[in-house]
Amino acid sequence: MDFSGQMVVADLEAGVGTLTRLGDAGVDLVLIVVEPTPKSVEVGCRAAALVADKQLGRAVVVASRIRNDDDLAMVTKAFPDHQVVAIPDDPAIVAADRNGVAPLDSAPDAPAIQALVRLADELVAPGS
Amino acid sequence: MCEASIMRVAFVGKGGAGKSAIAGTFARLLARRGQPVLAIDSDPLPGLAFSLGLDRDDAPLPDEAIEDRPEDEEGPRYRLRAGLSAADAVDRYAATAPDGVRFLQFGKIRTDPRTLFRSQITFRQIIKELPEDRWHLVGDLPGGTRQAFTGWGGYAETYLVVVEPMAKSLLSARRLARLALAGDRPVRVLAVANKVSEPGDAELVARRSGLEVVASVPLEPAFADAERSGRAPLDVVPDSGAIGAVSSLVEHLDRQPLRRAPS
Ligand SMILES: Nc1ncnc2c1ncn2[C@@H]1O[C@H](COP(=O)(O)OP(=O)(O)OP(=O)(O)O)[C@@H](O)[C@H]1O
Ligand SMILES: [Mg+2]
Repeated sequence: MDFSGQMVVADLEAGVGTLTRLGDAGVDLVLIVVEPTPKSVEVGCRAAALVADKQLGRAVVVASRIRNDDDLAMVTKAFPDHQVVAIPDDPAIVAADRNGVAPLDSAPDAPAIQALVRLADELVAPGS
Repeated sequence: MCEASIMRVAFVGKGGAGKSAIAGTFARLLARRGQPVLAIDSDPLPGLAFSLGLDRDDAPLPDEAIEDRPEDEEGPRYRLRAGLSAADAVDRYAATAPDGVRFLQFGKIRTDPRTLFRSQITFRQIIKELPEDRWHLVGDLPGGTRQAFTGWGGYAETYLVVVEPMAKSLLSARRLARLALAGDRPVRVLAVANKVSEPGDAELVARRSGLEVVASVPLEPAFADAERSGRAPLDVVPDSGAIGAVSSLVEHLDRQPLRRAPS
């Protein structure tokens, strides 16, 4: 089978367990999703260190549930060597979760979804 | 006529449901009644320490508490140092959180792997050998089903499944309830509806999880502020409805006979 032009997107378990077990096959990109909380940033830092140590691939930090500049600053400060992409805190995502639907379908114009669409576009753009 | 009944509860549920926030609050409110409480954290990710109001949680059992098990002896590779009982280990090595809650955990993802491994194995021995009546036990298990029923939650007589009124969380609650009841120990499985924001939410949780809902904790935006500043919800919004709901949960469980009558 020809898999060219196809992509695999994996949603890993919370924490860093899967990363520690990931072989050296590597991936093209690891998206480290963090919230602006000490707990979340701590786990994210550990994940970033693992990605670097094991040379798994490029890592981009996705700062989710961002409400204001302070929130974003907390994340960028913790990841000075990474690209950090902000996704706003958005009730549309919570509402979609409640209703068990995909937010991309139920709220395509919500700010968080728009930010994710921009991120995806940027990541798959040729040459990125 | 009734002996003071000891609570042995463990909070389980899907990732992010609110286990740590509720367990930490529950442990402190229970301790405020003047009885000894041991909070047990078996999640390698950060959680319960912050919800209790401790400022760091990376505290594996020190090497001095652990020894290699002799080659000719059956069992895990490491054990508590000879002469040190499980209760001694808690007295000596568990941190003390606000309201006097003792806090036991085995180290976090930042702990170096060898220390973490030794500490985890010994931690399991401690929770297995804890005296029956010395502390109320309040456990915070990691999200999902993997750890809950493989011995880590073995001290619990009551599993409290924390459920959000959302499809994913409801599904996960059903699965957890089934697994808990399928074990070989008699346990009670109850639900705590969390982040409740609409009138029918608690009922939805009861219907879809098949569990009795013993508390309904409202969505409290200030919990997010607590989370962001790394503080305990109980210290940030002590008078909120959410804290009140956990307080009622403590009372409710205290009134219920905890040990199942032998059938
Ligand atoms: N009743 C509530 N109202 C509003 N926010 C809440 C409530 N309960 C918990 N939260 C928030 O939900 C998030 C997850 O809570 P918590 O960390 O306690 O969940 P958990 O089940 O322990 O998660 P994990 O599986 O990652 O350990 C936190 O940001 C917390 O502040
Ligand atoms: Mg937790």
